[in-house]
Amino acid sequence: MRGFVPFLGHRLFRALIALWLVSTVVFVVMRLSGDPVPLLLPPDAPHSEIMRVRRDLGLDKPLPVQYVIFLSNLARGDFGRSIHFREPAFDVVRGYLAATLELGLTAFFLAALIAVPIGLFSAMRRNTLVDHAAMGLALIGQSAPTFFLGILFILLLSLKADLFPTSGRGDWRNLVLPALTLGAFTMASIARLTRSAVLEVLGADYIRTARAKGVSEMWVVAKHTLKNAAIPIVTITGLQFGTLLGGAVVTETVFSWPGIGRLAVQSIYNRDYAVVQCTVFLAALMFVVINFFVDLIYGVLDPRIRAG
Amino acid sequence: MELTRRDLLKGAAALGAAATVPLTAGGPAVAQTTQKKELVTAQAGDISKFDPHFSTSSNDIRVSFNLFDNLTSRHPDGKLHPGLATEWKLENQTTWRFKLRQGVKFHNGDAFTSADAKFSIERTYDPAAKTMVATALATIEKVEAPDPFTLVITTKKPDPLLPARLAFYGGQVVPKKYLESVGNDTFNAKPVGTGPVRFGSWVKDDKAVLEANPDYWGGKIEVDRWIMRPIPETAPRIAALLKGEVDVITQLPPDQGERVAGNATTRVAGALYAGLYVLGVNSKRPPLDNPLVKQALSLAIDREAIVKELWRGRGIVPSQPIAKGDNHFDASLPGLAYNPAEAKERLKKAGYKNEEIFIETTVAYVAQDKAMSEAIAAMWKDVGVNVKVEVIEYSVRAQKNREKSFKGVFWSDPTSTLGDPDGMMWRLLGPGGPQDYWRDAKFDELGNAARFSVDEKFRAGAYKEMTKIFLENLPWLPVIQPYEDYGLQKYVDFTPNPNQQFEVRRFNLKLRRA
Repeated sequence: MRGFVPFLGHRLFRALIALWLVSTVVFVVMRLSGDPVPLLLPPDAPHSEIMRVRRDLGLDKPLPVQYVIFLSNLARGDFGRSIHFREPAFDVVRGYLAATLELGLTAFFLAALIAVPIGLFSAMRRNTLVDHAAMGLALIGQSAPTFFLGILFILLLSLKADLFPTSGRGDWRNLVLPALTLGAFTMASIARLTRSAVLEVLGADYIRTARAKGVSEMWVVAKHTLKNAAIPIVTITGLQFGTLLGGAVVTETVFSWPGIGRLAVQSIYNRDYAVVQCTVFLAALMFVVINFFVDLIYGVLDPRIRAG
Repeated sequence: MELTRRDLLKGAAALGAAATVPLTAGGPAVAQTTQKKELVTAQAGDISKFDPHFSTSSNDIRVSFNLFDNLTSRHPDGKLHPGLATEWKLENQTTWRFKLRQGVKFHNGDAFTSADAKFSIERTYDPAAKTMVATALATIEKVEAPDPFTLVITTKKPDPLLPARLAFYGGQVVPKKYLESVGNDTFNAKPVGTGPVRFGSWVKDDKAVLEANPDYWGGKIEVDRWIMRPIPETAPRIAALLKGEVDVITQLPPDQGERVAGNATTRVAGALYAGLYVLGVNSKRPPLDNPLVKQALSLAIDREAIVKELWRGRGIVPSQPIAKGDNHFDASLPGLAYNPAEAKERLKKAGYKNEEIFIETTVAYVAQDKAMSEAIAAMWKDVGVNVKVEVIEYSVRAQKNREKSFKGVFWSDPTSTLGDPDGMMWRLLGPGGPQDYWRDAKFDELGNAARFSVDEKFRAGAYKEMTKIFLENLPWLPVIQPYEDYGLQKYVDFTPNPNQQFEVRRFNLKLRRA
């Protein structure tokens, strides 16, 4: 692992810049978007009352002063207080993380475990009925809007077939429909990409050579094909993983799942600055970490990248 | 997860216990095992805070009015009933004496006394407490507690509506000793009141669990536990009801009523909203400063069609700025007229020169707002108005509302907080009020006099006169007084409250057993 320390240092530095930029953009955009105070008070609150609450929340200070306070607090790991919940923002967000991880990880593993074999199988049986059926389904999975798919699942699998609860968080039965809904797009993308990546590799000279050597078909697929097709699959899987964790807003809303995507959107509507900043920061952090691991996996999969 | 398992174990234990009873007792108790111990309700948004003095949102007050008691209580019949005060009387123009209920305990065991009531009222407007209801009880000059069960409230000027004010937000009674010892944050996280339910647990955007208060002075509620779940989307909320996962849902849209009513196990219950859906008018902006133009706009709205088509009949055509069901509602007035020919005539008379008139609408800030905007825009176009619909986001609306910067007309759902025009028309349209876009000297004089008069006959006359002035000047274009519909399992006996309170007390919520 020569050069790993400089590599790590370089990545860390870039990660910090990315997090600082994201935080700053969110800080500015949220404050440009409007004032939270009228949303907190009854509609007939007089102007003096609004000014009083703005003062109490520190929103009357000039923007640069607010920004400096925000950054110095952030450096100490303090995300500020939620004005909507009247609690520290990080505590609020932390309460949603478990549900987000539960749903995101389930959807991810469901998607990866189903999609990679399907893509592989489709490629091996190219242009057969099985391939057409699988890719047709993938096309539907990729193009059906999440809210449509979610409500369809509720109506068919919950209300009509009585297999699963309609919504909410609880045991594994509550998890199935939201995970399928959330994972559908990812599943479809991974399946399609796996198929095309495998097809490309299957046409390569070294596969022909392997077959000519008399290597068993199983071994051709497992060792020679999959490993060489893995880089694009790992890339899209990593990216999709981040999306599953941070971008489940619609699924979470349809299934009233208490995850951070929904929290973020509600907090934007409530102009709950601190919570939005905290969720976006954590989401950005997750992306940075995932990307870092994807890069590491590249190195494991392809020695050329490691050397470069 | 842990909670579910514990619940299952509890349920299993209860079933086991119940199963052994009939064996020894001989059988007649079998029916009891099917008795429902839990009430599950679903609303469109989650609770944000439990401290009742820090929120006035309907998602919060559905719960907080049940965790806490007020001195007075507005029941679903629209009338004021005793709460923590058993009786009250006006001693002179500005002094009210309240007799308080004895033997009431807070959920933590502390006894309720007049010190708590005094503390609660003063907390609402105490600048150091920084509450969100600082104006709710601002007519009060001072509060005295001469003995543990008497409260004397002096108002700055005569205030005929003080008992009504105490029944609504800001009026919830909080425990002085507990709050002072734990502070605002802990109190908000672990609220303690005197109400029929006590705080159990809360997972944000998942569920709030509220346990029945076994010692409630109004009798223990029908179930052991009340679970409030947020289900933001309408379709899943209805699906949860139809499947029997929840017992009651709020905010049932009118076009979904048939689905719930047509299902064998569910029904619809509605209350005529204590308020109106109106188009507020920025009467300062030409041509809306001309009453003739506003009269024409009003005459061009086919309200019957809106009620019938968009609301499936779940509403009534308003006749005045006072909601039906309120004090001083004039039943003799006809519904606001639809007369496109006359509308054209008045536009001509007003010298209307095709100026743009904006409808700034939100989506689902009030039910059906966008659909109604589009319908009304078409009606206005028919009489030759150059109308433009602009969609704005909820928080933008809040900001424009604060800055009074609407470009034309905008949706508003004035709630009658006091069951009286003072708490609606005057609160919002009065000088300095949030919808102060139009002034009329006579209207202001009458509104002010009625606010500070304890002579109901005088007040009746004043509101009659104000209604007349209103109908000529139309600072609001009232559109509909809708029903607020709930979906319920048929075994739930529940009367909705017209003002968005959600009453689970024993007198209002019962589960009919098979």
